[in-house]
Amino acid sequence: MNYVSTGQRIMKKFSFIAALMICVTLAAAIPSQAQNGDSSDSSEYLIKAGFTYNFAKLMEWPAGTFPQADSPIVIGVLGVDPFGGTLDDVLKGKTVNGREFVVKHLKDGADLRSLNILFVSDSELPHLDEILHTVKNLPILTIGETAGFAQRGGIINFVVEDNKVRFEINVDAATQANINISSRLLSLAKIVHTLPPDGRKP
Amino acid sequence: MNFQNLSIKRKLLLITMVTSSVALVLLSASFLIYDLNSFRHFLSDDLTTQAEVISYNSAPAMAFNDTAAATDDLSALKAKPDIVAAVLYDRQGKVFAQYVRANVAQPALPHDVPQTNGSRFRGNFLEVSYDVALKGEPLGTLFLQSDMSQWSARARSYAVFLLLFMLASAFLALLIASRLQGVISRPILRLEDTMRVVSAKQNYEVRALKFYDDEIGRLIDGFNTMLAEIQQRDAALQGANDELKMRTQELEGEVANRKKTQEELLTAKRAAEDASRAKSAFLANMSHELRTPLNAIIGYSEMIEEEIQDTGQIQNIQDVQKIESAGKHLLALINDVLDLSKIEAGKMGLHLENFDVATMIQEMVATLQPAIAKNSNTLQLRLADDLGSMRSDVTKVRQILSNLLSNACKFTDHGAISMDAERVVNGDHQWIRFRVGDTGIGISEEQQDKLFKEFAQADVSIARKYGGTGLGLAISSRFAQLMGGQISVESEPGKGSVFTVYVPAQVSAEAAAANNVKPPKEVKAPEPEPKPQAETILVIDDDPAVRDLMSRFLGKLGFHVVAAGDGEEGFRLAKRIRPVIITLDVVMPVLDGWDVLKRLKADPELVDIPVIMVTIVDNEVAALKLGASNYLVKPVDRDRLAELVEKYRGSHAKNPQPVGVGASRAADEKSKLNTTWDDRSRRN
Repeated sequence: MNYVSTGQRIMKKFSFIAALMICVTLAAAIPSQAQNGDSSDSSEYLIKAGFTYNFAKLMEWPAGTFPQADSPIVIGVLGVDPFGGTLDDVLKGKTVNGREFVVKHLKDGADLRSLNILFVSDSELPHLDEILHTVKNLPILTIGETAGFAQRGGIINFVVEDNKVRFEINVDAATQANINISSRLLSLAKIVHTLPPDGRKP
Repeated sequence: MNFQNLSIKRKLLLITMVTSSVALVLLSASFLIYDLNSFRHFLSDDLTTQAEVISYNSAPAMAFNDTAAATDDLSALKAKPDIVAAVLYDRQGKVFAQYVRANVAQPALPHDVPQTNGSRFRGNFLEVSYDVALKGEPLGTLFLQSDMSQWSARARSYAVFLLLFMLASAFLALLIASRLQGVISRPILRLEDTMRVVSAKQNYEVRALKFYDDEIGRLIDGFNTMLAEIQQRDAALQGANDELKMRTQELEGEVANRKKTQEELLTAKRAAEDASRAKSAFLANMSHELRTPLNAIIGYSEMIEEEIQDTGQIQNIQDVQKIESAGKHLLALINDVLDLSKIEAGKMGLHLENFDVATMIQEMVATLQPAIAKNSNTLQLRLADDLGSMRSDVTKVRQILSNLLSNACKFTDHGAISMDAERVVNGDHQWIRFRVGDTGIGISEEQQDKLFKEFAQADVSIARKYGGTGLGLAISSRFAQLMGGQISVESEPGKGSVFTVYVPAQVSAEAAAANNVKPPKEVKAPEPEPKPQAETILVIDDDPAVRDLMSRFLGKLGFHVVAAGDGEEGFRLAKRIRPVIITLDVVMPVLDGWDVLKRLKADPELVDIPVIMVTIVDNEVAALKLGASNYLVKPVDRDRLAELVEKYRGSHAKNPQPVGVGASRAADEKSKLNTTWDDRSRRN
């Protein structure tokens, strides 16, 4: 091997390292909500917004849910919006299976039928059973952040454990809603079942 | 040990083993390399698949930032013992979760984990990077590191297996080859054995055994053919040798026989030579003994005849003539027999001299006139102008011609006889051709064949009627041959005959030498010195009858004759009287003719006197060698003697001596004598 080709190899190595450094720098510059497991107030909802996006990826609505192939996935936030615009930011421009996201902020009594995902805020705790009953047989993924949300018939419920956002999934509720949740998602979740209203197990 | 000198068995074995081993090793190696290589690919693909599965499974964990779940997912790799480490990196390149094999303290992770999908071999490790993504959203990278212990184990077990397989197959190949090499080596070894037998024992009957019809088979065939050839040659050689031995033995026998025969022949030859010598001695003695009385008979009958004529008593003359005739015939016979025996003994010499042909013929014809006239024949003499002289033995030429002429006279009655002589040139050689023709009784063809053979007269009756010994033609023919010439005859019975004689004009010295004759010294002409005793002839002879006859005859020729009875006296007289001519006998008591001749020739005063040997001993050549001028054999031919003495008297013609009357008288006498001797057959 001569000096020229050795030099070329060294140059290649250098350029490779340089490219790697640039990549790392760029990646760091983009704020990543999804991967930040820190559950401090400022970032907790960023994580939850990301998780919500990921849920959409790992589940399937029954056929005929969407009128068109590119019909957007409609997310409704019921009650006091804890995201404060973060959800909109996170989902903006994102697609799942070619579908964009539409975030709707809803008030009590709003029509929930056209939703695909329903985020029930803590503020709606008093009406929780009513709400859940309303969407009970509809293909709407219900997400909550209230303790016992899943046991009461909600499908996914965020919980914070050891400063980390985790979630519970009520498989029965999902089945009732005719929503197919990927086993990969299930493997990460804490699986719960619907409890009767008196708190006894069925 | 050098491979070249190995036995063919070992060579074949070695070649087979090496070839099969090389093939086997190459095959195994390529198989191994191929297999291990494809196994690496397989491992790589397998690891990639695993990476795909793991990244798929761990994507949600990463998406939901669940390190524990991700670590759980990775720990499923425990089931894969060759995976050393598995690491999930997030998008920032930080370790999200990792798995390290239980027995590894610190995994040797690369500093630069590729961010893109792919596998690579790094050192002893196989490393795979795989994107982790959820629904198309990249989440990070999965990195798997395998130490390929599977591969190493496989390689090891392969190596062991191949080694065992190779050993086994080599052993098997050895077994098979050691059995199969015999197919080639056995015939060759057998051929070698056969060759050894052939060369050691020289046995060409053995044959090499042929096994198969391949190249070696053909080699063996060729060898056998060669052996057969050699055997055949050997047999032929042996046969030839035997035959040669037999022939040699035969030859030896033959040689022995020949030797024996040769010895016998030698003995016989010696006996024959002894006999021949005895015969010659007998003939010489006999001729001497016979001539002596004949000399007297003829001489005295001639004298008586003359005296009768002188006295006129004619009535007795015929009786005396018959006595003389019979005596002369007897003499001729003796002379012919002697001549022939000399010729046959090879003792007939040639006395070469130059002489004029025409003169010789004319002198000879003159002496034959009576014979010609006898039967009323005529002679026609035709001599060519260019005859000149010839060098030859004049005595023999003369004898041939006179024999032919007298024969012609004898067998012709009232006819014509011719005598031709001419010079014939044939190439380098000059010949004198003599032809004697007659119109006589002729000779039949049958008779012509034996004409020139001894004692072969044409007809026995002829001898009675015409006389003659029958030896004349034989002797003439021999004489002609002696001089290098020949005689031939053409004849027709009743019409006549022509005899042709060819004699070389110059009889060569070689011809003379071939007959053991050296050319004689030229007779020097007597010096023209005046001789005080001119006209005197000294006759030296121990026989009184000869002395008497010579004295009378020479006296008639006009010479004064002085006679001496022995050699001693003869020499003394010669010294004293200095004769013109000396006649000398050979066989004499006290001092014989040879000694006298030697003394005469040794004496400077007497050396020039011509000596005519007159003797019964026939040794003309010796005499001429010793210096004799002429040689006459007794009984003396008077004509020849007269001729000679006239010749030597002639050489003194200028001498003012009163010889003229004597000479003419001698001539008269001579002609008279010739008429007296008319019926003689002159053959000497």
